Amino acid sequence: MTAALRAAAGHLRAMRGRALTAALGIAAAAAMAGAATYVSYALATGFERSAEQSDLPDVVARFAEQPQRRIRALVGALPNVEAYTLRLEINRVRLWSGRDVTQKGAVQIVPPGRRGYAIVAGRDVRGARREAVIERGLASSWGLEPGDSLGVGRLGRMPIVGISVAPDNVAFPLASAPRVQLSQGYLRRVFGDAQPTTNQVLVWTRDPSRTDVTLQQARATAYGIGDLSFVTRAGVRVLVDQAAGIVIALLVTFSLVALLAAAVLLASQAAADVQRSLPAIGVRRAIGVPRLVVASQYAGSAGLLGAVAGGLGVGAGVLAVSAPAAGVLEALNERAPGSAALPPLLAAWLGIVLVAMLAAGWPAWRAAGRPPVELLRGGADLSGSAGRLSRLVPRGGGFFVLGMRLALARPRRALALLAVLSVCGGVLALMLGLSSLVLALRDDPGSVGKRYTLLARLPAGEAAAVRALPGVLDAAPRYVAQGADSFALGEPVKLVAFPGDHTRFESPALASGRRVRSDGEAEVGTGLAQALGVRVGAQLAVALPSGAEARFRVVGTVRAIDDDGRVAYVRPARLLAADPSISPLIAIRLERGADRAAVTRALRRLGAEPRAVSAATTRSTAFLGALATLLRAVGVIDAIVCLYALCQALGLTARERRATLALLRSAGASHGVIVGVLCGAALVLAVPAALLAVVLQRFVLAPLVAASAAGYTDLQPAASGAQAAALVSAFVALALLAAALVARRTLRGAVCAGLREA
Amino acid sequence: MAVVIRADGLVKAHGTGPAARRVLDGARLHVREGELVAVVGSSGSGKSTLLHLLGALDAPDAGSISIGGERVDGRSQRELTELRRRRIGFVFQFFHLVPELTGAENVLLPTRLRGAPRGAAARGRELISRLGLEEAARRRPHQLSGGEQQRLAIARALVMDPPVLLADEPTGNLDGASGLIVLQLLRAAAQEGRSVLAVTHEAAVTAAADRVLELADGRLHAA
Repeated sequence: MTAALRAAAGHLRAMRGRALTAALGIAAAAAMAGAATYVSYALATGFERSAEQSDLPDVVARFAEQPQRRIRALVGALPNVEAYTLRLEINRVRLWSGRDVTQKGAVQIVPPGRRGYAIVAGRDVRGARREAVIERGLASSWGLEPGDSLGVGRLGRMPIVGISVAPDNVAFPLASAPRVQLSQGYLRRVFGDAQPTTNQVLVWTRDPSRTDVTLQQARATAYGIGDLSFVTRAGVRVLVDQAAGIVIALLVTFSLVALLAAAVLLASQAAADVQRSLPAIGVRRAIGVPRLVVASQYAGSAGLLGAVAGGLGVGAGVLAVSAPAAGVLEALNERAPGSAALPPLLAAWLGIVLVAMLAAGWPAWRAAGRPPVELLRGGADLSGSAGRLSRLVPRGGGFFVLGMRLALARPRRALALLAVLSVCGGVLALMLGLSSLVLALRDDPGSVGKRYTLLARLPAGEAAAVRALPGVLDAAPRYVAQGADSFALGEPVKLVAFPGDHTRFESPALASGRRVRSDGEAEVGTGLAQALGVRVGAQLAVALPSGAEARFRVVGTVRAIDDDGRVAYVRPARLLAADPSISPLIAIRLERGADRAAVTRALRRLGAEPRAVSAATTRSTAFLGALATLLRAVGVIDAIVCLYALCQALGLTARERRATLALLRSAGASHGVIVGVLCGAALVLAVPAALLAVVLQRFVLAPLVAASAAGYTDLQPAASGAQAAALVSAFVALALLAAALVARRTLRGAVCAGLREA
Repeated sequence: MAVVIRADGLVKAHGTGPAARRVLDGARLHVREGELVAVVGSSGSGKSTLLHLLGALDAPDAGSISIGGERVDGRSQRELTELRRRRIGFVFQFFHLVPELTGAENVLLPTRLRGAPRGAAARGRELISRLGLEEAARRRPHQLSGGEQQRLAIARALVMDPPVLLADEPTGNLDGASGLIVLQLLRAAAQEGRSVLAVTHEAAVTAAADRVLELADGRLHAA
């Protein structure tokens, strides 16, 4: 073993320059694999990991404030309950710190016992002390840490002793209400202990698979408790984890692409290396070195190199994406994997080492099988190398065209590079498409089919008055109800109702069926359709917070992105019949070029404080920003791999054709001519690869990702024309950069060196 | 006749430290217009190194070189590139034809360089015709014999009409008949007024030369 390692190390020392090039290739491929593995693992396991660490309950029931005594009696009688905690959550509490302030604080009064959140910094609240724990999203957004203080409503400034994370909801500011935990003991000390109340119960079940039974019983016995809603751990997982589903799907695709690209890169590199070493292999075979020993030495060298460069590459990939991945996880209230990510990263590293060994060992094994005499004749015979591919290039032309011919003279290498660049480019285009889509979701209401720009809280009857305002194109009451599917408890459903044609205000693309035409019909988002398994013609029964149920017939599915596609568009009649207390907001469409400020002033005169409508959600800015950063980080790694692949292939071409380049230099060709030749060699592959990448992205990768994400929403991440043009330009720039780098190295060498060889 | 190639006190060492070896050690050489000079010497004596220095492909450690009155030593790479383009043609033992190009494209390759004299392409076509290479000009190198390839290489070396032709073992890879044709072409190039310097092992080349010099111990002596 030691001897084999020594032999491999000696082999590497003997070809130091090539070993460095190979190491760079392995590191680039490993960086891709490492980044993809880390992000996929972090996001795929984020919820379960955080749920375990936070002791997340199996069910959270929310309801109108009740005496604790009554709820204890109800919960105590439920089957399958292992433990429960009663909590009081006070909403719309003013929180402030320095210049930061919100009126939407959610203060949770926590009793001793199981809490359902994890402390990630500092400590939990204790006894009856005047102290607070705040959620991580609030701490990050406002720059708070244990030891600072936070203003909490009428209680005034309180010292912060800890930072909490609970994955039962996304983090502030993605969630509008930042959560603060105070001890029940402190509140009792301040306000007395007369009639303790609660509006939340956290339930841990004995058998989580039978949570449905507990829920059915709870619904049956909770008669008279207002505003009752249940969120199950499974439901939270669906909601929160699927928000990352698109990224996971994308990164799994990317991992496969990374491994494929790595394999092709390493294989072509190793094949070229073996090709150059044919005489050396011939000598060894001639003196009786067995074929297996020759192959294993190449494999051993590659393995040694792969171990070092692969380790560095995986580390670099993780470093590049860990910060943006942490941002996404933080926005989802999930925790970074830490050392738990080591096993999959180790597997990725081992995979890279194995691929490197196979990529080097196999061509060496094949070469060593050839007759030694043939091997001793040496290197690559380029005399007939103008293969079929190079005949595609028209005759004549300048040195640029000569470069094109040189690149195509090695058809297999050219096709391998074309494949690597196309696939990497396809992923790059996908990243561009997704990152633009994500930013559009953040910034452009139109991207989620919203055609109104303002919402105002006014009675439905005021819609006509709003329509009459100058600058207003249209206005209608928009009713929203958050319910749960009657057949699958814990599956949230958002009902959105407009009188008449809702597409005047919200027009997500129709995926199947038709639009709503009457009161009993519904269009459901694809996310909801997938989750509930409903199709056109099925019944949608929604349990409303009031306890009443509204039923609709599904007539169409729509590509709704808002609320993860778990939305249904209906007419208001049945909704209001089931729950007359639902009050609308007036959705307002402005005329093109209308003065928004003037309309806002006019609405204020009507007694409403209008708010601007953003895209998916106004609160998701940080999350979507982090997601876009993550996608771009992966894109940057991808672009580096493309640059490396180009440099490597171009370097091989320049090395193989050093006689031709030296001849040109001896004939008086300037540096510009050599750069021109190499530019031709790079662009002849980079430009078709970019075009293929656009095709691949549009017709394969984008539909694949859209299909993977269809579980919760319908995305169309195909690159736009501008993005396709940007990709082609980026590839041209990468090709020119690669040509310049390789030309620099080529021109540093003496002219006569290339002329000495046959 | 004017001296076109002038080299004095040329020193060139290969390797460093204890492995350093002076392959040229004060070599001196003058070649006149219209003269064909052959340089012979044992393998590793520095013949090719001498040719590379004279052809401005490499720089001497000491000494001076001038080609057609223009100093070669001490000039920038850009200036040397231009000098090679205007004044020097090379013929190599291994021909160095570009396999992707036809014979004609190979001959005309230097004419595509910026600064090529007007009429260079026409001259190239005339050379192809004069050397009887019309058929070979349509084919790619691997479809040609060694002799045809070397004749194309000579046509390429002459296409820019350089006053100096440097040949490195021009017949080293050819059979006797082909070698004879190549020698006739070199002789003809000298008769046109060019200074032709050929380094060789071949007796046929020395027999065709006006002068034969032997390179030994880093210096040139009349053979």
